[in-house]
Amino acid sequence: MIVGLGSATFLIRYWPITFLGRGELPGWLKRALRYVPAAVMAAIITPPLFFIGSTPTIAFDLPRGAAAALAAVVAWRTRSALPTLVLGMLALWTLQALSS
Amino acid sequence: MPQVQGARAEFIAGIRAFMPTSMSILPFGIVCGAAAVSAGMDALQAAAMSILIFAGSAQIAASQLYANSAPWLVILATGVIINLRFLMYAASLSQHFGRLARRQQALIAYLLTDQAFAVTSVHASGRSDPRHLHWFYLGFGAATWLCWQTATVAGIVLGNLVPANWSIDFIVPLTFIAMLVPLLTDLALICAAIAGGLAAVFLVLPLKLNLIVAALLGISVGLFVERQVRRRG
Repeated sequence: MIVGLGSATFLIRYWPITFLGRGELPGWLKRALRYVPAAVMAAIITPPLFFIGSTPTIAFDLPRGAAAALAAVVAWRTRSALPTLVLGMLALWTLQALSS
Repeated sequence: MPQVQGARAEFIAGIRAFMPTSMSILPFGIVCGAAAVSAGMDALQAAAMSILIFAGSAQIAASQLYANSAPWLVILATGVIINLRFLMYAASLSQHFGRLARRQQALIAYLLTDQAFAVTSVHASGRSDPRHLHWFYLGFGAATWLCWQTATVAGIVLGNLVPANWSIDFIVPLTFIAMLVPLLTDLALICAAIAGGLAAVFLVLPLKLNLIVAALLGISVGLFVERQVRRRG
């Protein structure tokens, strides 16, 4: 599994650098690829804000959600990772302490 | 007077550029190492993930799927979808690195991360020497690699010692929030992100298939909004 995913990942990274120096990607693919980081990153961010534990009950985890929203604002204003992470974690711990 | 940055100077500049990023890579790597171990992998497997795959979000997803005994084809497909953004980064970087020797391209490919792409792209648009840009990238990448492996090992060893109610795993969504928000520069991208994010939660599908479908939905929404905007304006 690890070797398979490692190879696939490597190919994903390697193939465009070597072969796209010359040929071109089809137009629709280029347009679609533009949205991949946004869609995928968003899809990675949201589930941890909801599911507590492994049973898929759609319960909004308020401390995490609020902390994430705050972090998003910080990220928007500062465009910097460090304040986003620090303030996000502090917000989470504060909200968790308040709600327990 | 223009400065001519030698290859070595660019390499060091790359390492220096990594320093602020290390603040998010270190906890991320620790979480990955800990996740692999708590999913049931032994130390060697967990370390191998970081060496062979070298992509945190995919490693975590793979670990979680592995813990749920998902078929390896699902793990592979999920990992590929999560890492598909590297295709875009690589395509963009090919304009700088497309003419290098194969071996250097392979090394560049192996070290590709979100941050390496973003920082190198910014550096390229500055006043750096384009002949040595790949050294900047490699410096950044080498520093990233060392940091990542160290963090993974720390996560493997220490993971079980950190109590769960410290919520250290929250670092993962935070890291991606920090990366995602600056990317959202137009309406189509914002819509793509909202669609992908909502779909990932509300599509209650087993084995993280929701991630694949959510990503495809997000991309479709992005393309749709883009076309609408183009029609109006």
